[in-house]
Amino acid sequence: MVSLPDRLPRVDQTKADVTGGTPDFSDTWIVIPLYNESAVIWDVLHDVSHVFPHVVCVDDGSRDGSADIVAAAKVAHLVRHPVNLGQGAAIQTGVEYARGMPGARYFVTFDADGQHQVSDVIAMVERLRNEPLDVVLGTRFGGAEAVGMPWHKRLVLAFIVRLSARARRLGLSDAHNGLRAFDKVVADQLDLAVGGMGHASEFVALIERQGWRVDEQPVSILYTDYSKAKGQSLLNGINIVVDNIAHGRSER
Amino acid sequence: MVVIQLLLIASALGLCAVFLIHRQQARTKAWAKLIFAAFVVFGIYALLRPDDLSRVAGLVGVGRGADLLLYCLVVLFAFTTLATYLRFLEIDARYARLARSIALEQARRERERTTAEGGHD
Repeated sequence: MVSLPDRLPRVDQTKADVTGGTPDFSDTWIVIPLYNESAVIWDVLHDVSHVFPHVVCVDDGSRDGSADIVAAAKVAHLVRHPVNLGQGAAIQTGVEYARGMPGARYFVTFDADGQHQVSDVIAMVERLRNEPLDVVLGTRFGGAEAVGMPWHKRLVLAFIVRLSARARRLGLSDAHNGLRAFDKVVADQLDLAVGGMGHASEFVALIERQGWRVDEQPVSILYTDYSKAKGQSLLNGINIVVDNIAHGRSER
Repeated sequence: MVVIQLLLIASALGLCAVFLIHRQQARTKAWAKLIFAAFVVFGIYALLRPDDLSRVAGLVGVGRGADLLLYCLVVLFAFTTLATYLRFLEIDARYARLARSIALEQARRERERTTAEGGHD
């Protein structure tokens, strides 16, 4: 066994506080889509695996050695896409891997760039356990502070949500957050067809179509210079819209 | 008969021949075949009787037959582009499923190998 959390060195005492008194998460799988994040993936993996014994990293054809770092860290399962397929495809792969694992009941998608907080994941999985919910989506607009979120990004995201009738119907304030927790029902039914970044909208569409019980959880996002540099551009927003329209017509 | 008419009719018939020879591979839908047949028949007709085309153009308010042909071509091109785009999406989805099953299978084998090695310790 390589994924036992107690074999890990405690890299940071403040992180250890998060784990204090938390329940057993052996029924929870963290799915991390990974594409060219060699600068941060080591830290992200160790943060996550402190609390969560089961982590699956889906390397989406990185060319910067990210996958080798995951393999060397020995704290996560590694699935390698032979070619780059996009983040949505990586999430789908990770969920398909995790849902086949014995005892897997809860699933979390977690970004590889270090902008998500492990403490938020704990709270989201706890809500899945204790409330009648299938999906808990992280929101950046739920009161918790999006540290250092650029004002123009805030504006664009708020605008997208207003634009989306579906997000409004479901009472969602943030449809494009990469942090999501869901149960086995959702994992079994999940079938993301949009490979690229448009999977977030597709996920919301699936929530409505499948009738999954959904709620939001305010989460804090760490907008570092690193994640800002890697963030989505406005032009990519157009790709997201077109991808979803096209898939809606061609496949559903 | 003008030389260009001969050349164009020959190429239309050539297209037909290629289509028939490759009909095993070309798993096109029935309506696509109909459109293709109509296109060839219409093309040959328009080549032999260019004045008729001009008359039709006049009926729909277009100056010359050649203009009408151009407009039709633009519409057809847009249609083809869209159809190709949708086809690519479908192929992308299949390609992703193939790559995913390879990735999952490899991960499974890797896991079994690690477990087996662990068992020997």
